[in-house]
Amino acid sequence: MITLYDYELSGNCYKVRLLLKMLQVPFTTRALDFHPAREHKSDWFLKLNPLGQLPVIDDDGLLLRDAQAILVYIASRYDDSGVWYPRQDAAALGRISQWLGFADSLTATAGAARLHDTLLQAADIVACRARAHSLLRILDEHLWFAEQEAAGWLCPAEHPSIADLACFPYVMLSEEGGISRLPYPAVRRWGDRVKRLPGFIPMSGIFPAPAA
Amino acid sequence: MSRWFAVSASREIPRGHIAHTQLLGQELAVWRSASGELNAWENRCPHRGVRLTIGSCVGEELRCQYHAWRFASGSGQCTYIPAHPTQKPAATIRARAFPVREDGTFAWVNLAPEAAAAPPPDPGIARALRSMFVQAPVAELRAVLLGGYGQGSVTATDEYTLLGEPDLEFMLQPVSDRQAIVHARLRGHREGAERLAELRHHNALLSAVRDRAEAAA
Amino acid sequence: MLLGVPLTLHLVSEGAVHATGAVYEGQERLPHVQIRYGLVWLCLGIPARDIVDFPETRESDRIVCTGGSVAVAVSGLRAVENFLDLGHLAFVHAGYLGEEPHTEICAYRVEPLVDGGILATQCRVYQPRPSPMDSQGFDVDYVYAVRRPYSVVLFKANPVEKHRMDMIALLVQPVTEERCIAHVLMAYPPHNVDVASLRWFQQLIFGQDRPILENQVPKRLPLDPRAEISVRADSSSAHYRRWLASIGVRYGAIPVASA
Repeated sequence: MITLYDYELSGNCYKVRLLLKMLQVPFTTRALDFHPAREHKSDWFLKLNPLGQLPVIDDDGLLLRDAQAILVYIASRYDDSGVWYPRQDAAALGRISQWLGFADSLTATAGAARLHDTLLQAADIVACRARAHSLLRILDEHLWFAEQEAAGWLCPAEHPSIADLACFPYVMLSEEGGISRLPYPAVRRWGDRVKRLPGFIPMSGIFPAPAA
Repeated sequence: MSRWFAVSASREIPRGHIAHTQLLGQELAVWRSASGELNAWENRCPHRGVRLTIGSCVGEELRCQYHAWRFASGSGQCTYIPAHPTQKPAATIRARAFPVREDGTFAWVNLAPEAAAAPPPDPGIARALRSMFVQAPVAELRAVLLGGYGQGSVTATDEYTLLGEPDLEFMLQPVSDRQAIVHARLRGHREGAERLAELRHHNALLSAVRDRAEAAA
Repeated sequence: MLLGVPLTLHLVSEGAVHATGAVYEGQERLPHVQIRYGLVWLCLGIPARDIVDFPETRESDRIVCTGGSVAVAVSGLRAVENFLDLGHLAFVHAGYLGEEPHTEICAYRVEPLVDGGILATQCRVYQPRPSPMDSQGFDVDYVYAVRRPYSVVLFKANPVEKHRMDMIALLVQPVTEERCIAHVLMAYPPHNVDVASLRWFQQLIFGQDRPILENQVPKRLPLDPRAEISVRADSSSAHYRRWLASIGVRYGAIPVASA
């Protein structure tokens, strides 16, 4: 069984919980005292992940860090339908990887702004917000055309991929870092679509699915 | 100000969706009920001031996220207060609704309480282009558009409406003193790849307009 | 920052701290500062009375801990009012501190405290998971005491010991009129709880409140009863606003318009 080293308010931990729930994969969590005790920097945890970052999973001895890497692993290992991470489709894998990188950029900007505004962590808040806005502008344009050309997911397929789940948390939590999403109506509609997916779970800061 | 402003392409507010926008500093929750009725409400629950855009649409009602008070599509009348489930909410409890109309392409809002006249007529078969949010005052955006759009010239119909060549109409939405949105529609009918190419072409042109307006602001 | 005054805290040693760089009323001053309950307390003026007392923290067997401070872009008065609010529990904290269809808020008592403040008693709500250690839901009795404009304490029925209650205090630092930091102090009877799970639960719950608070418009708390509609379930909120108006609190508030 998978053990997820977890922090409730982490968007990167949430995306792992979200995929596990959507795939109905059983897992247990080990909650870390991220704030204020900084348990993710403790000696015992640094042995699991020398980067001192959450999440980490332990799947019967296989230890993995990095939220995006964990999504790739879980989808490859536990999604028999292959829709979340289509292993045989080179173009799709390329596109997904592109958005996994984008998700990391969201963490470094919108995510950092949120940690600054909620948990008072140091950040160049003006730069973080400006860069997050430039990412959201790119995302909104991409999603508007995705609605015109396909089903409105990040990658052109009928079914969403792990790319959508990777980008979802720090987009939806952006306002906790003082980044308004009012200028991004296509992002807003995409957020609604993600929330309506079967097995969707909310987290603190992300409201549950609107009624269809 | 009694004037109609386009605030979104109609098709971009599907049933059950609550869009978040702002007009002349007034924040709005523009939402469509399950049966398709469009509403433009002040973005604030009268109970504890929470933005209605974080709420959800439940059939013909909008439900506030905080205490799940429900407000009826059309009137804005509060229909249900879960803390007192057996009591009928007082008639005075209502979300503030602004006049809203649709013309086939766009949703239009008027901030005046009694908006008598209708919005400008639908120019016929028209397709909405991708609206462009601009971090610049509406006057700046207008000035850039009047300087030309692509290879064509642009003329002003009034302060917030401009015409481009050929068959192009721009509607400006003043969001705040420092932000604006340009909505645009194109007469004519195209399908498939041709239509997508046209949408991308205009998106590139409008992005250039945006960038110039933002650089000037 | 406190009340719009930026300052720097220096931890001298475990348990000793001093504050510098505080400039207000035209000159640099040395604020009164001390550590109590694991939190730093500051007073920019001359303290008229001691820090609010929590006798439960001195009961030796209780688990006493802070919850992890969280900043919120809203008036601290709105944060206190939300802490007092019963009607949102079934929705904002669904699955933990309430759930549908248990949404009705029955009448409860609100009265003034002798030393100022208000006391809400006879509050009862069905909670599926009232605390980190409860796996079963039950009807939970609540008592709230607002002891200062920015300090409120909640006593919750403990599932094991009927005569002792869980204590959760919300101590709000008004950073500016429209920003605050919520500090939480907890004192739980020692039954199946540890610091990590108390903090996990508290941050999960407060994390659900935070986006609600940050979406309140206006950010300051309106004290005029005509500004926002209240119903019977909002009795503690209405009393809180009235009390704030009566003692002349203006910071973080929108005062009652003179008629």
